[in-house]
Amino acid sequence: MASFTASSVSISSAFCSFNQTQGSNLRKASVSFSGKSFPSQRLSLPRFRVSCAAKPETVNKVVEIVKKQLALPDDRPVAGDSKFQVLGADSLDTVEIVMGLEEEFGICVEEESAQSITTVQEAADLIEELLEKK
Amino acid sequence: MRSGFLRMKLHCFDRTFIRYSHSLNAVQLPAPMETHLWYVNPSEVKSESLLKQYLDILSPCERENVLRLQGKELRKSALLARALVRTTITKYQMSSPVEPRSLKFRKNVHGKPEVCWPSIDDWDPPPLHFNLSHTSSLIACGVTINSQIGIDVEEKQRSIKHNILSFARRYFSKYEVELLAAISDPQIQQREFIKLWTLKEAYVKALGKGFSGAPFKTFTIRFRGVMEGDSEAFNESSTKGFEIVVDSLDDPTDVSNIWHFSLLELDGSHYAAICTEKQSALDGKINIPGKLMVWKTIPIVEDEYVSGTDAVKIICGFQ
Repeated sequence: MASFTASSVSISSAFCSFNQTQGSNLRKASVSFSGKSFPSQRLSLPRFRVSCAAKPETVNKVVEIVKKQLALPDDRPVAGDSKFQVLGADSLDTVEIVMGLEEEFGICVEEESAQSITTVQEAADLIEELLEKK
Repeated sequence: MRSGFLRMKLHCFDRTFIRYSHSLNAVQLPAPMETHLWYVNPSEVKSESLLKQYLDILSPCERENVLRLQGKELRKSALLARALVRTTITKYQMSSPVEPRSLKFRKNVHGKPEVCWPSIDDWDPPPLHFNLSHTSSLIACGVTINSQIGIDVEEKQRSIKHNILSFARRYFSKYEVELLAAISDPQIQQREFIKLWTLKEAYVKALGKGFSGAPFKTFTIRFRGVMEGDSEAFNESSTKGFEIVVDSLDDPTDVSNIWHFSLLELDGSHYAAICTEKQSALDGKINIPGKLMVWKTIPIVEDEYVSGTDAVKIICGFQ
């Protein structure tokens, strides 16, 4: 069943913490919206929140979980900007996806956060934010 | 004089909508405490030209959203959902200044969709509330006046990927988990799980604050014996003489006095849960049992009144 979702801007609300000691792990700060991300010189802009683009491994894991939940064929293209609803997820699917992510990554997703996850990228970003807090 | 004035105004609109308003039955608004339910089975809508007509009455934004969806069946049910809500709501106008394609929607402060009626001289919009729910195999729209409404439909046989009790432990209240855990037959357990899910969804949608407005764990929905007033272990064959109530862990007020629940089986294949405000909560009057009217419809084409037929089996909540 489709339930309404509040319109939400798809920008992760995580502030980026640069990990400068781990050179190889240095994450790019980027402002991303509508799934397109580009590097930004400034850390924080007045109206946009900076998000760290999640590691590709995280995104891939999310894609795997989503494809499994929605029983999508392997060749169906699913990327960071793929919206769950567009892929065919109803509210029960979305809740199951969140539960699958919790199990996979050992995190706990609050309802407020779960409600704002609408794409693969948003899920991946939230996962990394929660992992960082642990 | 007044109707002549209105006729003059109508000439400003496209002529096709005038034909529409005569061709398909206008429906009386629900009475207070009456709930109307309209549903469509996508597999019964086969005509490509009809689907094109539906596409035509959607707003450009809705059209874009539908066409973006991946999968023909997914697009079809999304299309039917929008066509259903537009055609259903416009049926309730006494004189029809607004045609389905012209209807505008907005979201309230919490994101719940509502109708944004135009302001037209000498015309009051129908004071109705609605809520929509769809699965790939059934789409339903509930309508009331004066009362908030939330509905949810789901296939009876819907299975989830996770173990039911694991899922319930994560998302449902302790009481609900215990109830489900006490059911030894897996098929019955699966069906009771789906019933609980639809009831909980309907409640959250009636509240209109989104999933986080009433996290599933913070409230319990249960069947309560009407006579005894205490809760009984749920038994599939014994739902007569029961009512469905909600207890909120967060809210100290007795929310079961505000919200009325009902559960139906539609076409033998789907559960439909409906949550509305009780009369007494709205105006302090004594509760009168509500009436349910159900139509099976193919938008624009036909409406079939199915209350009292095999298509509608009331499990709990209505007379």
